[in-house]
Amino acid sequence: MEEMENMQVVEPVEEVDLTPGSASKEQIIKHYSPFRYGVGAVLAFFGFSSKTHRASKKRAKLVMDIATYVILLFGTFIMVYPFWWMIAGSFAFTGQSGTTDMFNELVWWPSSMTTQNGVGLFYNYQWLFTSGFKGGSNGMPKGYSYWRAILNNLIYSIVPVVVGVITSASAAFSFAKIQWIGRNQVFFFLLAAIMVPGPSIMVTQYVMYDQMNWRTNGLALIIPGLFGSIMTAFFIRQFLFGLPTSIVEAAKIDGAGYFRIFCGFILPLAMPAIMAQGLLSFMGCWNNYMGSFIMVPQSSPWINLPHAMYVLANVNTENQAPIIAASVLCVLPVLILFAAFQKLIIGSLMLTGSKE
Amino acid sequence: MEENATMSVAEDVASEAIVAPEAVAVAEEAVPQKKKRKPINQQKLQDNLWGWAFCLPLIIGTVWFVYAALIMAFLLSFTDYTVGNSVPLMEYLFTMGKHIATNMDTGARDAGYWYKFVFTHTVRNTFAEITYNEMGYHLFNTVFYMIGIPIGMILSMFFAVCMSRDIKGGNVFRVLYYLPCVASSISIIYTFRIMFKETGVINQMLGLATEDGGFRWIDQGATTAQTWGSLLGKDSTNEFMRNPYWCQGIFTKLVIIIMSVWKGLGGTIILYVAGLSGVNAATKEAAQIDGANGWQIFWKVTMPDLYPVIFYNIVTSVIGGMQIYAEPVLMQGESWLTSGYVSLIWRYGINGDLGQPYASLGTAYGMVLAVMIFVLTLFQFWLDSRNKD
Repeated sequence: MEEMENMQVVEPVEEVDLTPGSASKEQIIKHYSPFRYGVGAVLAFFGFSSKTHRASKKRAKLVMDIATYVILLFGTFIMVYPFWWMIAGSFAFTGQSGTTDMFNELVWWPSSMTTQNGVGLFYNYQWLFTSGFKGGSNGMPKGYSYWRAILNNLIYSIVPVVVGVITSASAAFSFAKIQWIGRNQVFFFLLAAIMVPGPSIMVTQYVMYDQMNWRTNGLALIIPGLFGSIMTAFFIRQFLFGLPTSIVEAAKIDGAGYFRIFCGFILPLAMPAIMAQGLLSFMGCWNNYMGSFIMVPQSSPWINLPHAMYVLANVNTENQAPIIAASVLCVLPVLILFAAFQKLIIGSLMLTGSKE
Repeated sequence: MEENATMSVAEDVASEAIVAPEAVAVAEEAVPQKKKRKPINQQKLQDNLWGWAFCLPLIIGTVWFVYAALIMAFLLSFTDYTVGNSVPLMEYLFTMGKHIATNMDTGARDAGYWYKFVFTHTVRNTFAEITYNEMGYHLFNTVFYMIGIPIGMILSMFFAVCMSRDIKGGNVFRVLYYLPCVASSISIIYTFRIMFKETGVINQMLGLATEDGGFRWIDQGATTAQTWGSLLGKDSTNEFMRNPYWCQGIFTKLVIIIMSVWKGLGGTIILYVAGLSGVNAATKEAAQIDGANGWQIFWKVTMPDLYPVIFYNIVTSVIGGMQIYAEPVLMQGESWLTSGYVSLIWRYGINGDLGQPYASLGTAYGMVLAVMIFVLTLFQFWLDSRNKD
């Protein structure tokens, strides 16, 4: 009965407009409870509207912005920390016969650094240059050295990429700007090739390269790249569709041949797309572990840097700090390149909507 | 303006005609002789010739290194060819008829022998005391690694939404998150391998490192299984629990999933940020005016617009995920508990784990993989088409 009475008392109050803006503080507290009022005040401070308080939009945005930054910074920490660990680990000292748990205390900085053990700060890097990659030792092929690894990597990633991007661009030019019979059919015929999984044709490629003697002189990693890649051609073609065809036609009327149009107009105009695709392919080739691992025999001095790292890590299981140093040296050039051209690369990725 | 342009073009043509009267004369002389034949449009001929010429390298490369290799792989899978075979590959394939039914080595192999081998090859593991189907286990591992795909998609969507907010420095975050994508995967794998050691930084942070070791994330020895065996109960009547050989792989797989998600996050984020920036702002605003909250707008307006991007991402991730090879092998070497399907191609087709590198067996494994990927992709497109109705 009492409850019924109470409800009857409260009910008239319900008719008062209780929206946070128009009702007074007393009215709201009377209708809800002081506790709810307090909770509402705290929520409003953090930008959330409730029945008792209406949060200002500015505050809501501020709070959400701070939350966004906290989340993004936390994510950045997770994304960047392994790189920091790599750099710190490359200064750890494990000696020539160090223990396997040498990275024991390494969370921020190694507890046993190179300088504390009577060797220079860059001891691990020096070791790589002087004896780590030296041919004949550590399972390395004869005639190998650190500079050979870098040279191989440069050959594998510059020659096929530069030539390949140009051949891809020429194919893209042909598909986008020249009217010839069957060009769409040919294009889709080529595009269908990306459906073929690499591992499925790995063995045949291996046998082909083996019988052409491409495996022991590095040609297996150079020649296939020279013919260009269909994905690169696809993205450059998309870019060329954005260019007005009238440029090509005007040049044609002025008497320029297609070759001159390609060299004089298309290459400079499509340079952003070509550069972006070239840089991405360069990074892919620089990091290409699988190609060297499968195609190049371990006894050949044509193995690239990632492959040499694999050999070194397998032989040198105890003293692993130099392997981390080698990792840094393998990652660093690509990171520098990416930092220098990040706007171009990210812009191209956003435009093409591809992941690589 | 247009008139001017056409005028100038006309002038150009006229001036050229004036400059080279001899050429015109020569052309006129040549024309009457050819008139009896079908007249050829010189411009169109040029277009066709140059069109083919410009894409010839790409066509040659694709046909040679992809299509020819695929056809040869298909044919090889019915024969009995080894990598060191003295007969060159092309010659062997041209005389393939001889090699299909009769066999050089045992004489007992027919055309479908390697395919039967792929599906039925079993291996006895003495430690785990089981006989397992090799293809089944490697496929299970491959599919297990795909757990990372939805995790990565949800995480990257979350971060992409955060980055698409109107905040300062969104671009900087995008670059920083993309760093792992450009880094060499072998460096990343070695770094993670040491970070996840018994006394590594992860165990330190999680408090799992102890005096005599710590939690074994990556271990191919029997110790992990034994530890887990005592934990799960040695007296259990269930064979699966008493001898938990399967535990050996689980945590290594987990580390590989964490690493793949970490490495692939940036690329997907960029994909989603690009997609999010393309979402129709007017529709969003209309929904907002109609009283929809942020959550509703995200699910009802943003997600349908993003659907093509997400679908593309799923398709490419599944195709890539089926081909996982280097990560598990570099993390802990070839092992039936962690290696992906592709490592079978490498082991039997190139490395010669059966005594000889049977290229035919490798290509048979490859053909099965290609069919599986093709069917999976078709299945996804079928789901997609059903979704649209």
